[in-house]
Amino acid sequence: MFIAFILALIAALGVMDYQFGTLYIFRPIVLGTLTGIVLNDVNQGLIIGATLELFFMGAVSIGAYIPPDVIVGGVLATAFAITTGSGAEVAITLAMPIALVSAAVGNLLDALSPVLLSIADKAAKDGDDKKIVIIHWILGLLNVGRRFFLVFFAYWIGVDKVSLLLNIIPSYIIDGMGAAAGLLPALGLAMLMRMILNKKIIPFYFLGFALAAFLNVSVLGTAILGLILVIVKFGFNETGMVLNNNTINEKVGEDDEF
Amino acid sequence: MMSSNNIITKNDLNKMAVNMGSLGMEFSWNYLGQMNLAFGLMMNPILKKIYKDDPEGYKEALIRHCEFFNITPQFAPFVGGIVASMEESHKKGEVDAQSISSIKTALMGPLSGIGDSIFLGCIRIIALGVGIALALEGNILGPILYFLIYNIPAFALRFYGANKGYEIGFKYLSEMQQNGMMDKLMYGAGILGIMVIGCMSKDMVWTGIALEFGSQDSLTSLQSVFDSILPGLVGLSVTWFYYYLLNKKVNPIIIILGTIIFGIFGVYIGLLG
Repeated sequence: MFIAFILALIAALGVMDYQFGTLYIFRPIVLGTLTGIVLNDVNQGLIIGATLELFFMGAVSIGAYIPPDVIVGGVLATAFAITTGSGAEVAITLAMPIALVSAAVGNLLDALSPVLLSIADKAAKDGDDKKIVIIHWILGLLNVGRRFFLVFFAYWIGVDKVSLLLNIIPSYIIDGMGAAAGLLPALGLAMLMRMILNKKIIPFYFLGFALAAFLNVSVLGTAILGLILVIVKFGFNETGMVLNNNTINEKVGEDDEF
Repeated sequence: MMSSNNIITKNDLNKMAVNMGSLGMEFSWNYLGQMNLAFGLMMNPILKKIYKDDPEGYKEALIRHCEFFNITPQFAPFVGGIVASMEESHKKGEVDAQSISSIKTALMGPLSGIGDSIFLGCIRIIALGVGIALALEGNILGPILYFLIYNIPAFALRFYGANKGYEIGFKYLSEMQQNGMMDKLMYGAGILGIMVIGCMSKDMVWTGIALEFGSQDSLTSLQSVFDSILPGLVGLSVTWFYYYLLNKKVNPIIIILGTIIFGIFGVYIGLLG
């Protein structure tokens, strides 16, 4: 129960990230590691965290869809996998159902927000900033509490049952989840492409791919080469051109779709 | 430009860049107003200072800044800086209230576009690429570097943005939009981001195809055939297939569930391993 409490605190910390400046510590790569530290297996925490991070790469709030809850999914799945002595595949198998359920619970709680907002509107009309602060915290803490209790009870009640469950699940399901986990990072990439891709930059996608595929350049190496390319291409290093150059007026952004 | 008769100081702006509202931009996120309360709270200390002898003006300003707002969080202080300079002019009677609201609204779209490209599409991906590779080897530097690579630029931009926004006001920004600087920044961030995404399509998508053919002695896996044609071919094709589905407005949840079913089925019949 003590461990359930600490794990719940990690999930709460993940939500508090939104008050700390969206540092992106709510992602599995960080929370999974913290979970590993608490369960005294940093190595597994790191590996599972990184694997779940890839798995959930597409779970970013871009556009109008509600992403699966990476906070609860990340912490619980890592914890269950480590305590049952199983690997990253098991973590992935557990993470997605947990994350989807938690997101659904969140949707229910969001029904409260219009009521709270109307109080905040009234407070603004009265110039009562203290009340706005309070509503800000209530809205945020509702999310903190929801994650805290979900993780606390799920771990407390579930930890024994998970190993039973894992014995029942046939191995091809767990391996299959592992295979899916290998593919899903591509969904994250595709979602980012939806956001930034246009005809003008497509060649650079293949440049990045070719650097990795044929020259084995790492991500950081690709980023550095890309940065140099951008600086030279736009002359960001030539002083004075930044403000007053109307001749190099390339219009982009009109062709997002193709 | 900053002049001595401005009441907002550099110190006020730096505080705004990291105050409760600014850092908590997504904490009270809600469907109706999105970042409205946090934005109001970010502006609150500055509004109080500007309207300290004008309670009615303060109330109106507070209402104005608790209206719908949404942006890449790291860019919020920049908008805050611009709003601060405009509120100051409004107090002096130089700018009308309506144009403050409309400029805020006008900034949300383009700045979120640039912001998401730079932070979600570029810096986060670089941070992840570096962090995940290390973490998968069990190296604790993975999450630490991930954290630093993402957040050092994020905080630099908060402070720089708050000050720059105040200094330049809206006029300069529209100039930037006119001379194509905004487009160039977005274009540049796009190139950098898409190169890294291209790189990751090879490195981070890893499911192997286990299907083997040939006789017992000369087993060849389909995977090794693919690899000899083009390393990372699977990652490349899968990424573009997902991209195609997303373009067809298929819900990501459906794609995720579909992939899981495909994975389980693939392992079951021995296609994947």
